[in-house]
Amino acid sequence: MFDTIIDPTVGAPGDAERGRTALATRPADLAGLRLGLLVNTKRNAADFLEEVSGLLADRYGVITTLTRTKPSIVHPAPPEMLDELRGESDVVVVGVGDCGSCSASAVADGLQLEAAGIPAAVICSDAFRVSADAMASLQGTPGYEYVTTAHPVASLSRDGVRERAEQALPEIVSMLTRHAVAVAS
Amino acid sequence: MTTVADPAWTAAQDPARTAAEAIRYCYEQGWTDGLPVVPATQEDLEAFLATTDRDPDEVIGAQEHLNRRVTVRQAAVNAIMAGCEPEYFPVVLAAWDALNGEPSTNGGAWQSTSGPAPLLVVNGPVRQRLGINHAGGVFGPGFRANATIGRAIGLLVRNGYGIKPQELEQATQGVPGRWQMVIGEHEELSPWEPLSVVGGLERGVDAVSATLIRACEYVDNRHTESAEAVLQDFADSLSRIGAYLGFRHSSGGLVLGPEHAKTLADAGYSRADVQQWLFEHATHTEAELAAAGKGGGAPVTDGVVAMMPSAAEIPVIVAGAANAAISMVFRPFGWASWSGRSVPVQYAAASRPSPVQEVTP
Repeated sequence: MFDTIIDPTVGAPGDAERGRTALATRPADLAGLRLGLLVNTKRNAADFLEEVSGLLADRYGVITTLTRTKPSIVHPAPPEMLDELRGESDVVVVGVGDCGSCSASAVADGLQLEAAGIPAAVICSDAFRVSADAMASLQGTPGYEYVTTAHPVASLSRDGVRERAEQALPEIVSMLTRHAVAVAS
Repeated sequence: MTTVADPAWTAAQDPARTAAEAIRYCYEQGWTDGLPVVPATQEDLEAFLATTDRDPDEVIGAQEHLNRRVTVRQAAVNAIMAGCEPEYFPVVLAAWDALNGEPSTNGGAWQSTSGPAPLLVVNGPVRQRLGINHAGGVFGPGFRANATIGRAIGLLVRNGYGIKPQELEQATQGVPGRWQMVIGEHEELSPWEPLSVVGGLERGVDAVSATLIRACEYVDNRHTESAEAVLQDFADSLSRIGAYLGFRHSSGGLVLGPEHAKTLADAGYSRADVQQWLFEHATHTEAELAAAGKGGGAPVTDGVVAMMPSAAEIPVIVAGAANAAISMVFRPFGWASWSGRSVPVQYAAASRPSPVQEVTP
């Protein structure tokens, strides 16, 4: 009956829905692999990823070869940073999505890494699940899985950060090694 | 058998009922900000697009990380829905461009936990032509152009970018009147040049200046004739610790009621003098900041921290009625309070307002 009402959500051409991102092939285990860390500048993000890196080195024999900090908290990592990560790492951990825009952007990073053939584990705080999920849907990959840690992260001490990294570790490992877990379509 | 209770029958018979059903339909599509919208039709769209020479397909904003780009046409559709008249549309476009020119809108602002609100300031004769309020009750409600131009921006963010509350938008509490703060500057009662002249345009040019803000708070001071006492009162509000994030500096600007503006101007203060005085006096000691858990994050001179970024970055606007000595402090979002650039309103050649206008000198 209301077919003549104009849909206000229709924008410029090229905004058509994106296809689903296929996940990169996972390694059987992490021993000896090169780890890239993608830090999003959020407070405690660098410390969190550093703790993860230490734990992965001690327990899984992973070598961190590259740490990069995104120039923008909102936008996904730029192409040259993506190229660096692709060139120098086998798996990447991204984090920490702990705000309105950066949680969404962390998910976009995870998906662009997967599209480039690099298994990624994205860490977001649980307060921002909705925006992270909304970004996964926008990017054509609803149901994309990521690791959550309890909110808040920004106010934690270094000991608190270490504890959180420890708690998140099993999920991170599983996300980087298990096939097809990250998508439930 | 057809009965009065049958919606198909009543809608067909009663235009008011049809309108209500159309509004309900828009709600069901998720297109509204919670208030009813005007359903957009092709006929209305053409009337809106006729007010501008810009290509309907021109991309006027993008959130590349969300894969969303909005067009002139889409802005018109959302302006219709917001309740604008076609002749408001050039102002909507100028407001949108002004916002996009602000550094603060280019950093995830629309998704931010702080939920910032556009503050859009209109200068020029367009205020009289469209009835954009710049006098009593300037922050609203009650004036169609003020209410709907701001709302059009909000609907474009929602429908164009797909940024909705509790989804991609993660405002913790948001800002009251988030999509309603369109104010005219009261140029006729301002002792200083229009804000748009500070923003680089000629006097008498229709213009919009924009910033994103996190709050408005009043300063009521009707008991002194001393300009410095009034300024001290403003400085106290401007320096409020709660508005300071704990590093670098805070931010603030003033919408002066005409009475306060007159008190200051009569005492010999230019707008720049006011800004300089406020910059020098909106301070806290390092100890006061530390006592609130916010020490150690800002440059300190002799134990004192300047809470404002610079004198020039304290926007000063004049609006409201000259009936009480009341002003408003507002809080720009982000580190750059205002780019200092105003955007001229552009009209279609065919609908450009006549040069003979009701301009108050």
